[in-house]
Amino acid sequence: MAIYALRKLAFFLGAVFVASLAIFILIRAAGGNVAAIVLGKDATAEAINALAHAYGLDQPLPVQYFNWITNMLQGDLGQSFRTKESVADLVTARLSVSVPLALSGLLLGLIIAIPVGTYAARNVGKPSGAVLALISQIGIAVPVFWAGILLSVLFGVKLGWLPTGGWVDWRESPIGAIRSLVLPVLSLGLIMAAVLIRYVRSAVLDVMNQDYVRTARAVGMTRTQALLSVGLRNAALPIVTIVGLQIAELIGGTVIIEMVFSLPGLSRMILANVAAREVIVVQSTVMLIIIFVIFVNFVVDLLYGVLDPRVRNAA
Amino acid sequence: MNTTTTAPTVAPRRRRRLELNASLVVGVALTIGFLVIAIVSFFWLPSNPNIPNIKNRMLPPGTVDHWLGTDGLGRDIIAQLMVGARTSILVGAGGATISLILGTIAGLVAAAYGKIADETISRGADIMLSIPGMVTALVLAATMGSGALTTIFALTAFFTPSFTRVIRSAAMSVLQEDFITSAKLYGRGKLFILARHVIPNIAGVMIVQFTLYFAAGILTEAGLSYLGVGVTRPSISWGMMLNEAQQTVGISSPLAMWPGLAIVIVVLGLNLLGDGLRDVLDPKLKRRS
Amino acid sequence: MTTSAKPHAIEVNNLVVSNGDVTAVRGVSFTIPQGGRMGLVGESGSGKSMTALALMGLLPMGWNTHGNILHDGVDLVTQSDKALSSRRGRTLSMVFQDPLSSLNPVRRVGDQISSVIRRHTGADRKVAEAQTIELIKQMNLPRPEQLVRAYPHEISGGQRQRIMIAMALACYPQLIIADEPTTALDVTVQKQVLRLLNGAVRDRGSALLMITHDLPIIAAMCDTVAVMYAGRIVEIGPVQEVFRNPRHHYTRGLLDSQPTMDNIALDGSSRLVSIPGMVPPLHSLPTGCAFNPRCPAATDKCRETMPELGSNGVSAACWHPIQTAGEVAAQ
Repeated sequence: MAIYALRKLAFFLGAVFVASLAIFILIRAAGGNVAAIVLGKDATAEAINALAHAYGLDQPLPVQYFNWITNMLQGDLGQSFRTKESVADLVTARLSVSVPLALSGLLLGLIIAIPVGTYAARNVGKPSGAVLALISQIGIAVPVFWAGILLSVLFGVKLGWLPTGGWVDWRESPIGAIRSLVLPVLSLGLIMAAVLIRYVRSAVLDVMNQDYVRTARAVGMTRTQALLSVGLRNAALPIVTIVGLQIAELIGGTVIIEMVFSLPGLSRMILANVAAREVIVVQSTVMLIIIFVIFVNFVVDLLYGVLDPRVRNAA
Repeated sequence: MNTTTTAPTVAPRRRRRLELNASLVVGVALTIGFLVIAIVSFFWLPSNPNIPNIKNRMLPPGTVDHWLGTDGLGRDIIAQLMVGARTSILVGAGGATISLILGTIAGLVAAAYGKIADETISRGADIMLSIPGMVTALVLAATMGSGALTTIFALTAFFTPSFTRVIRSAAMSVLQEDFITSAKLYGRGKLFILARHVIPNIAGVMIVQFTLYFAAGILTEAGLSYLGVGVTRPSISWGMMLNEAQQTVGISSPLAMWPGLAIVIVVLGLNLLGDGLRDVLDPKLKRRS
Repeated sequence: MTTSAKPHAIEVNNLVVSNGDVTAVRGVSFTIPQGGRMGLVGESGSGKSMTALALMGLLPMGWNTHGNILHDGVDLVTQSDKALSSRRGRTLSMVFQDPLSSLNPVRRVGDQISSVIRRHTGADRKVAEAQTIELIKQMNLPRPEQLVRAYPHEISGGQRQRIMIAMALACYPQLIIADEPTTALDVTVQKQVLRLLNGAVRDRGSALLMITHDLPIIAAMCDTVAVMYAGRIVEIGPVQEVFRNPRHHYTRGLLDSQPTMDNIALDGSSRLVSIPGMVPPLHSLPTGCAFNPRCPAATDKCRETMPELGSNGVSAACWHPIQTAGEVAAQ
């Protein structure tokens, strides 16, 4: 297991390095002169040069990359060109919105998908199974922002139970914060569930027909016991993998949902900075998100090793 | 295994074939309808979807000449939906096609050209997969500016690694078949084997994946345009229409329903088509997904 | 078969297994006395595995059982899954064909065995673990203390099948069903595993239902044999009698198609015979005797009316049973 974990750690670090390089090259190569982008078309050459010099943008690209990385490692994510605010401060303030939203969305998706997917697998070929498969198929086709709009029309406008958007800070009123998160989490969770149900269903279906589930019954378990104790334990392997792959989707969904419900999260900050061409802010924030996703995948890999002795030994 | 254990699958398989036909038929019907509407939009539109007409603003659905009504600036909804279908195809199919080509090349190289090529490409794909597509799109929008081309570029960056992985594993299983070994024994070169044996055998997988990523591309494009970093006027996107509806007239208006419905129907159609095709073209694949 | 005062290990009456579209087992009856050993032979698709799964109550989804299966004082056909589950592994157990796919890949083999013991005997963890080690020793497996901590993929095929046998025997069942227990194993370990199974079953006084297409295994391990074809038993009787004087043309065909030192000629002119034709698919069985299209002795009667076991005073379902040398001489 130790060798397996070390290998995965090496891959994690390598992935972060490659991704940082990719982001840096993408922004610098595709974007051209950062200072010129920031200042806009009407800027004079002197102004551009001055800005470039102030931010070290006139140094060779490898040096700039090296500085960016070493600063990031020390917690310095750079600062905004216009407001001079530190990116790290900007980001931390937004995490109290984005992190609870994304994690609760994922959790809700799993809480729905695991029992429903298992039920659908057990009723494959029956009307109830077919209806669930159809609902999941339709759910996959629903864009997450439209789900948000529909839910906010229903619960916000028509029923008036919950706010249709906006944010109350945790320090001001935790209940208010939770109330403003309910519909966003519901939208995100339902769409995640639609996708996950499909995978859970096929994972359980696959496992259900395995000989070892039959063996579990042959030595004294009922059909349900065998499915729940032996089946789900084995189905956990593909499900964990899918959850890892869905993290990227989850981030994308969170970005959009924050927009639908006007939540002051990380993604609205990125969007505002994209519009303002704040390249450094975008570059560092995006890198943080990517590190998070790669880290989650690293944890998923470790979990996989814990769950499956075959994977552990193969390494 | 003996036939006593395969016998039980006889009945379910017959039932499944019916199911698959249903998803294929519905999928084909929805997709053809979608394509036809997009093609018609080049020759005929009820009115210009980009020219505001203030005296006609906010007409309700059912109005003569504007069956689904007009938006806050008096632009016809049907005309906008029709042009939106065009955008969905351009961006969705564009992104899926480019990724398919790049992914096939990378996947075949990984499968056929040794361990080093395979490791490099596979690890690279893994890393790229961990970059959220939405984030890539935002970075590109920040540097290249938004627009249809940027969106296609983002989709390509997002989909290519997935295509690479699928093509690689499909090609690998073909390369393990006996007829490949015999082709090698006859002294056939790698390129010949890939072109003559591997590609025809993974064509089914390629078609299915293309359909599914076409659908995913439409969803992603709608999301980006909703965020305002996708396509911009005079192009029209369903995601953009939803954004405008929310900004100008509020979400409870029917204006926020039509584009959403259009997306659901088209994406559902393509996904059903993909699943139906998968059952027809590659029965082995069905079990995996 | 002799009637004894003791109840049978299992008594199957007119067992039918179907899923609505096809019928895989079409009226099978047999009994195995306490400690008795019956072999069930037949080609692929003859319904022998479905018979075994029906006895265990482990048929795949959508398959139904009719008839009676009397075991341990109850009719298993009428029992719920819950009631059956309390018998499976305790009074009735089964060894499957492929031990790798049949063992839970993410659980240590020792835990898999001891959990069976705990489930059925209520023994605590310590006791169950001690019994597990003891069982593994009885299975002639090396270093039992280490082996219990291994995962299925870490041990050999022969060891895995011994673990499966240990699980099946853990609670001293009245009947053990072994469905082709050695076909997935290397030829070199097949004999060892069979010998072990044979001895362990005998030590416990359990009855055995051995399913195989390998006739020598039946000859070595069983006292009666039933031959299945297209979902029915076409011949049943003591092993010696059936193998020496087969009455059914299908049994004769099976025996003739076994390679032995006698019929494999060293000069290459093999005298190995195969039965012409193929097993008919279950959904389009011929009328009359299901074997008639492949049978050398088939007549119009065979094409019209289905023979029953004992129809002609012999324990074979045949209108024109093969006569023994003695019978030929007597005519």
